[in-house]
Amino acid sequence: MENDLVLWIVVATALAFDFTNGFHDTANAVATSISTRAMAPRVAVSLAATLNFVGAFLSLEVAATVASGIVEADLITPAIVFAGLVGAIAWNLATWYFGLPSSSSHALIGGVVGSAFAAEGTQAVIGAGLIEKVAVPALVAPVLAMLVAGIAVLVAYRIIGRQHPGVVSRGFRFGQIISASLFSLSHGTNDAQKTMGIIALALVAAGHLDAGADPPLWVIVSAATAIAAGTYAGGWRIIRTMGSRIINMNPVQGFAAEGAGSAVILSATHVGFPLSTTHVISGAIMGAGAAQRLSAVRWGIAGNIFAAWVLTLPAAATVGALTYGLVALFGDGAAGPVIVGGALFIGLAWLGVRRTLAGRTLTAER
Amino acid sequence: MVAAIDGAGLVEVVWVSLLAGVGVTLTFSLVVLGTGRSAAARREGNERAATAYALIAALAFAVFAVGVVFGVNIMLSKD
Repeated sequence: MENDLVLWIVVATALAFDFTNGFHDTANAVATSISTRAMAPRVAVSLAATLNFVGAFLSLEVAATVASGIVEADLITPAIVFAGLVGAIAWNLATWYFGLPSSSSHALIGGVVGSAFAAEGTQAVIGAGLIEKVAVPALVAPVLAMLVAGIAVLVAYRIIGRQHPGVVSRGFRFGQIISASLFSLSHGTNDAQKTMGIIALALVAAGHLDAGADPPLWVIVSAATAIAAGTYAGGWRIIRTMGSRIINMNPVQGFAAEGAGSAVILSATHVGFPLSTTHVISGAIMGAGAAQRLSAVRWGIAGNIFAAWVLTLPAAATVGALTYGLVALFGDGAAGPVIVGGALFIGLAWLGVRRTLAGRTLTAER
Repeated sequence: MVAAIDGAGLVEVVWVSLLAGVGVTLTFSLVVLGTGRSAAARREGNERAATAYALIAALAFAVFAVGVVFGVNIMLSKD
């Protein structure tokens, strides 16, 4: 009974993470399309939400956990997963508040690494896995995407250079609808799986699911719904940063960035090389701007984004470790996750109400 | 630790990304060029040029569409 209570808390926290994953990463698929007016903002997020939902059903290759090969799976308990999820949610909310695009996968990995380290020490963390799955991809993804998008923009300008600007803009705006759709579908097939994997892991640990079995339908539907709802809610601060604060984008640059980003992500998926969608599209946008002229990129904003990427793992790990420490204070039972989860829920609800009231006051004053 | 990095996989990601990323934009640029020039030629009454440019646009769009379908296929067949 007590185990089941912890299980449901982990499931609820995983779905909360999935929601933040959705609204944090909406920008990856829609920022360029909104910025170049290829789609109206609400149409863009509705399309992205729908395709994220569909994408979650299309691929059910659920990894044991997103952190497999990075932490020792045998040592993972529901409390460690819970604390890791809290670390990831905290980092996603902090970077959203400052409008910084950062990797939700790295936040989740960081959270779980931190909580596993706090629980079991260094034996729980696989250093080589961290280098292979986090450090190297974090270096490769933005640089490669920047290079591909930059060359793509130069090639596009070479071909359509003498065309009427109206024809070029209309054409590439249409193309962006296709490339944004491809991006959203890809996001759904990748990111919803992380939550399904986490829930499946918790179900296996609680004895409700055989190891290696496909996740039950309710897990798939709830993970798909949470990521789609988060995507529809839209992380507008990050959309603004990606769409108009890094560079002033035109439709050719928007299309080249999304096309290059899709190519990098899909080729990496094909080879089994884990790259962050956020790192890829951010790098591609910078490359598309730099190809026009280096000063077209606001390097100050780019520097803040790079700093957030470097801080993602240690910051999420620190919150994950602290959360685990707090949970462990209440013993091995359900009390820790119940109290910490309840406090987190109340805190988030209070922040939500405050923001809503502040919004109403501002509206009334106008 | 360095042995953990899949060098061959990394090289493959780099060249396939370059080929596919630049290829996608190149083919779609040809679509835009073809449709734009085809419309202009038709306005000028040059039907032969209009048809030729429309054909280039259609061919380029077909290659672009194959690329998109291939991308969706990769998504669905990942392991």
